[in-house]
Amino acid sequence: MFKFIHAADIHLDSPLLKLDAYEGAPVGAIRGATRRAFENLVQTALDEKVAFVLIAGDLYDGDWKDYNTGLYFVSQMGKLREAGIPVFVVAGNHDAASTITKSLRLPENVRLFPADQPATARMKGLDVAVHGQSFGSPAVTTDLSRLYPPAVPGCFNIGLLHTCVNGREGHAPYAPCTLDALRDKGYDYWALGHVHQREVLLENPWVVFAGNTQGRHARETGPKGCMLVSVGGSEPLSLDFRPLDVVRWEVAVIDAGGAGRGYDVVDRFRATLSALLARSPDVLSVARVLIDGETAAHDELQADPERWANEIRSVAVDEGGDHVWVEKVKLRTRPPVAKLAKPDGALGELLSLMDELAADPEALRGLGSELSELEKKLPREFREGTDGWRPDEPGWLAGMLSEVRPMLVQRLLRKRAAE
Amino acid sequence: MKILRLDLIACGPFTDTAIDLAAGTEGLHIVYGPNEAGKSSALRALRHLLYGIPERTPDAFRHPFSKMRIGAVLKSARGEALEVVRRKGRGSTLRHADDKTAIEETELQHFLNGVDADLFATMFGIGYEDLVRGGREIIQGGGDLGRLIFAAGSGASNLGVVLDELQTDADTLFRPTGQKQKINEAVGRLKQHRSVLKESQLPGQEWARHDRALKTAQAQKTGVEEKLGIAQRKLNRLQRIAEAHPVMARRREILKGLEAVAGAALLPEGFANRRTEALTRLRVSESERDQALAALSNLRMSVAGLEDPAMLLDQAEGIEELHQELGSQRKAAKDRIALETRRNTLRTEARQILRSLREDLTIEEAERLRVRKPEAVRIQELGAEYERIATRIESGREKIPEYTRQIAGVEARLSALAKPRPVDALKAALALGEEALPLEQQLKSVCTEKQALRQACEQSRARLGLSATSLEELGRLQAPAVETIRIFEDRFDSLERRLSTLAEETRKTAVSLSETGHRLEEVRLEREVPTEADLEAARKLRGRGWGLIARRLESEAVSADEQQLFVRSFPGAASLSAAFAASIDKSDALADRLRREADRVAVKARLLADQAAFTEQVKQLGEELAAGRAEKAAAAAEWAGVWRPLSATPRSPREMRQWLQDFRTLVEKASEALKRSVQCEALQAEVDGAGSELGRCLEAMAEPSAVEAETLSGRVKRVRSIVAAEEQLGRQREELVREKTRFENELESASSRLQANEGELRRWQKDWEQAVKPLGLAADVRPGAANAVMEELKSLFDKLREAEVLQQRLDGIERDAEAFMRRVKALASAVAADLAARPADEAALELQRRLTGARQTQSKRQTLQKQSDQAQVKMQQAAVAMAEIAAQLKGMCMEAGCRLSDDLPEAERRSAQRLQLEARLRHENERLLQLGGGTAVDEFVSEVAAIDPDGIAGDIERLKEQIQQISAEKSELDQAIGRENAELSRMDGGDRAAVIAEEMQSILGGLERDVQQYARLKIATRVLNLAIERFRQKSQGPILKRASNRFSRITCGSFEDVRADHDPDGNPVLVGVRPGGKEIVPVEGMSDGTADQLFLALRLAGLEHYLDENEPMPFIVDDILIKFDNSRAAAALQALAEISAKTQVIFFTHHRHLVELAVTRIDEAVLFVHGLG
Repeated sequence: MFKFIHAADIHLDSPLLKLDAYEGAPVGAIRGATRRAFENLVQTALDEKVAFVLIAGDLYDGDWKDYNTGLYFVSQMGKLREAGIPVFVVAGNHDAASTITKSLRLPENVRLFPADQPATARMKGLDVAVHGQSFGSPAVTTDLSRLYPPAVPGCFNIGLLHTCVNGREGHAPYAPCTLDALRDKGYDYWALGHVHQREVLLENPWVVFAGNTQGRHARETGPKGCMLVSVGGSEPLSLDFRPLDVVRWEVAVIDAGGAGRGYDVVDRFRATLSALLARSPDVLSVARVLIDGETAAHDELQADPERWANEIRSVAVDEGGDHVWVEKVKLRTRPPVAKLAKPDGALGELLSLMDELAADPEALRGLGSELSELEKKLPREFREGTDGWRPDEPGWLAGMLSEVRPMLVQRLLRKRAAE
Repeated sequence: MKILRLDLIACGPFTDTAIDLAAGTEGLHIVYGPNEAGKSSALRALRHLLYGIPERTPDAFRHPFSKMRIGAVLKSARGEALEVVRRKGRGSTLRHADDKTAIEETELQHFLNGVDADLFATMFGIGYEDLVRGGREIIQGGGDLGRLIFAAGSGASNLGVVLDELQTDADTLFRPTGQKQKINEAVGRLKQHRSVLKESQLPGQEWARHDRALKTAQAQKTGVEEKLGIAQRKLNRLQRIAEAHPVMARRREILKGLEAVAGAALLPEGFANRRTEALTRLRVSESERDQALAALSNLRMSVAGLEDPAMLLDQAEGIEELHQELGSQRKAAKDRIALETRRNTLRTEARQILRSLREDLTIEEAERLRVRKPEAVRIQELGAEYERIATRIESGREKIPEYTRQIAGVEARLSALAKPRPVDALKAALALGEEALPLEQQLKSVCTEKQALRQACEQSRARLGLSATSLEELGRLQAPAVETIRIFEDRFDSLERRLSTLAEETRKTAVSLSETGHRLEEVRLEREVPTEADLEAARKLRGRGWGLIARRLESEAVSADEQQLFVRSFPGAASLSAAFAASIDKSDALADRLRREADRVAVKARLLADQAAFTEQVKQLGEELAAGRAEKAAAAAEWAGVWRPLSATPRSPREMRQWLQDFRTLVEKASEALKRSVQCEALQAEVDGAGSELGRCLEAMAEPSAVEAETLSGRVKRVRSIVAAEEQLGRQREELVREKTRFENELESASSRLQANEGELRRWQKDWEQAVKPLGLAADVRPGAANAVMEELKSLFDKLREAEVLQQRLDGIERDAEAFMRRVKALASAVAADLAARPADEAALELQRRLTGARQTQSKRQTLQKQSDQAQVKMQQAAVAMAEIAAQLKGMCMEAGCRLSDDLPEAERRSAQRLQLEARLRHENERLLQLGGGTAVDEFVSEVAAIDPDGIAGDIERLKEQIQQISAEKSELDQAIGRENAELSRMDGGDRAAVIAEEMQSILGGLERDVQQYARLKIATRVLNLAIERFRQKSQGPILKRASNRFSRITCGSFEDVRADHDPDGNPVLVGVRPGGKEIVPVEGMSDGTADQLFLALRLAGLEHYLDENEPMPFIVDDILIKFDNSRAAAALQALAEISAKTQVIFFTHHRHLVELAVTRIDEAVLFVHGLG
């Protein structure tokens, strides 16, 4: 009877993307999240007295050049060495691109599989064979698993592989392979990496993506961690997911349907927030708040989105303290049908104009030209992977226009509204 | 919408207070409440009624939240009424008048025409603050027309503020050239982070190499530092001594110099400058004086050398006149040549024309040829008439053959066309045929019906078994009555019942009989029960035996056979006696048994009796049954007899009852079918009649009378087409005949017209002869030729007249030239006798030239005189200055202790030398004090003096080299240590770079938010400006027109008009116009009050513009007139009263005097005053 850990896609020192700090946001709590998640991994290995640890690729971020990251990894591996725990690693596409991988001297308990051909590793006193092959270049498009050696008879055979399998949305199609081929190898467990979403692809044999250890942006939601695998004895193999993350990305949808005023929506968020806090009490939740539904508060909300984002954040600070961070507040509300009647007069002219503009791609581009000065000044990093800035796309501009509409109307009619 | 009544049930200070606003068409309702009366509460209540009471309200001080109620009766523009009560709460706050049942908000919204709370407050409400803000906007915005029109059309009084805020908000986020704006700042920070990140990231290098290198360098550095210290100290001492030597030498020199200037006077700073300046000024003054003198003498000489121009100048006017005239003289001379040439050409041309017409006449005699105007006109008219007549004759001659040809063509077509056959008979037959068409249709349907009926009858007949009977016979068949069937049915039934009863009894009796037989058999089988008969038989047999015996005894002969027969009756008996004995036994035994078994014998006897009775009964029953059956057969025969006439084999009466019913239906149907057959035949006869009539007519026309399988309608169709074809033929013929007649008429009229025209031509010829005679032309001349001659004559006389005019002009030129010459001569002899003989134009020119010279001379004399006056002034000024300077120089000599000013430079030099030497001595002493490291100067001087200066330089040089070498070594080590330290400190596995990368992401996050907000603001600005401009273009005209009128009235005529104008940059702006249009007042030039009134005028105009197109909404006015003077306030109230014709106006005020003003000035049919509290 023995246990081992299967982890992957650690991406040490890669930052959490575009987290806008606000007054009272738990800035300290997000710092060094990937490192702390990795420390949790090491601690789990020690606590569970595992026989070995598997890392199925992407220890580092490809374009990250800081050698300190490597030194940090070595220091953490030192703890496992003292406990006599070996670590088996295959390099993933990011590792192949990383300069750190090339120059780092690994401690003797860490075994990095070669890139030129698959190899098999054995351990003293344990009938386990670990087969693996690293990525030699950032884009490997051949099926690496094909050349993996046959299963060693009498051993528990593990395949360690960085792969997209037969394709996974949002992930580069590297080292593709088929489940049939993996099954036919006769191994007992395939420890896969590359896909950040945890998934058990097969149970006989076990083919498993452990997912990444720490979510890094709003699309990597939910708990992240590693697989703790128990093998042997009379029991069948058991798989236990262990969360390691210290920051958890969530999407909190607030149904504003029927809410009368902006503060009603804020109150609803308060309720949603308590549910969220109860669900993940031990980690920092980073929530994207989506406010949805048909509500009389539509105009009030849209007139000053920043103000309401701040209201929501202030609730998060009050109720959640250091346990929650509101990443973004997105308004998708609609006005109640009765309010759609368009007034006449100058204001009607303004609203009709907006309708006309929204339906005319050419006119929308004309509006976009107002932003060309700003466009010139924006840095490269800003444009990478953003969906919040498309001043040349009519669709984006029409969206902006629909946000402008209530803002403008509210500013123009700002009069004894509260009386 | 109109508010008919506002019920302040429980809100603010009110309890059950109603304001009745129903009066007036719409009405100007003034709601007056002194301070504290709750005017503001009432105003709020009105809004809250329509749009709900907000969560936080100041009106709950008397009534608790839960009790707050505002009610109203509303009337829509369509005339619907609604009574509502509004309570405070979170949902379903609108109720019916009973304050119990809820009303959907949509029902109320139906009255609000899509106007929401904000729009209502803005567009249909105006308060004092709005007015002031609007006025301020007008002035601050410089009267921007677009904004004003937009504000008027929306009620948004803060448009400028909104635009400014949008701009300011955007500017705080981003400016293209800014640094401190949020976005600019974030971009800057990102840039910094990027470079810091680059520095913080480490390339992968070997930690051990750096560590080793660091340690070695540190050890080496300690040794090098020690050596360096020693050498440095030595060098310092030697250097100080070496430096002191030249200092001491300079000091000695200075002391010597000081002795030489010991007694010199010390002059103040600037002394030499002052002296030099005085001397310079002295020299300047002298030079000025000399120049002035020389200039004066020169000027005087120049004046003397000039001539006196007075005589010429006196005649200047005459000379200039001549000179001016000279130009026109010369031009006239030049023109004269051209005019002469022209005149000669004209005369020559005239002669040529004349010659071409009449060679016999000279030019002077040409006049005889002149034709008078009427004659010329007559010739032209006749010429034109000839053209007309000739054209008509020609066209007449062309037309006649054309018509003839067309007539022939029509005749040919006519003869080619067939003659139509008469169709009257056919048409008559057709009318009959057409009438019969519906009959044919009817025939078809009757036949179909008949067919269907017959088929149904056949089926019924077969079913009823009457196939042999024809349908016609059916009706005649005598069917039995239903009653008969019923009688038979009863009879059969009773017979049947009897038979079945008999059969049952027979069966029962047979059963009893057989049972009796069985029981007899049982009795017998049990043991033969002797019967009385058995005993009798046995006794008989015994008697017979006895007889035999007796006979034997008596010896009578007994035949052996008799004996034998008897013996054989007792088997086992061998002899007669034995047999007789046996017979006795048997009879005894039987008798005994009969006695013993008397019961059984009785039973048997009874059974036997029964058997006999049953057998009898069976026999009787059999007879009865046979009789019943015979009766039934008779009935059946009778039944069959009933049906024989129908030749039907009857089944049971019950069945036959149904059969009879079916039979009757069949008979009805058959009769129906027969009826149809008759109809069919009748119809067929009619149709055939019509068809054959048509056939006869067709035959008469040689058309086939009948086509195979032709129905009547088919034939009618065929006949119709024949009739149509014949009629068409007839119409074509008529058409052609008409055409022929038309052409013949045309031909006739053309011929007569031609004759008339030819007569006309003959008349014309006579007139023409008369007309052309004066021209000397023959009678046969053509009008064209006559016209050409007339043209030539006209040209001839034109040329002669022009030549005459030219001659007159030439004579005029001649006269002018002579007059000019005379005047030149006269003038020349007066002022320049030498010119008298010269030609006039030369003389005039020379005179002008001399006059110009004289004028120049005159001007020169005046200049020279002015210059000599100036020279004299300058001389006097120079003399005064020279005296002043001399006095100043004398004072300076005394200060320097010398007699003459020439000695001053020497005194100055000595003073300066003394000062300089003293300063240098102080400097050298200080230096020595320094070099001596604090030792007193004199002491240090003697110490240095003791050392040999020649050896020092060498020692210093050596020491320096040594130090330089050691320092270089040390610096290298320092650098190496720094480098290694830096490298190592960055190689500790720390997360500095990662933290920076995280911070960058945080900046990017904020940047995204700001950038989107910036985009919203920019787009909003652009869209708002577009909308402002568009609304201005659409609505400027009507709004301005109304606003102008209102403004003029509200300012009581202080302004006449407001109108669109342009500012210096060309932007459209609004300006005021004073009465009479004299003065244009830009809005900046209006007082605050006037600007407020302008805003009010615009707002009212905008509201009216809205009401032109939309349903009315109450206009709520909150005490806007408090700063207006009485006359303007009255005018404004009047304006509101006028608006109240279109929509309800509710005016809230605290001010008694406004109410009084309204009451005195506004028509009472419009004005309604309501008091509060």
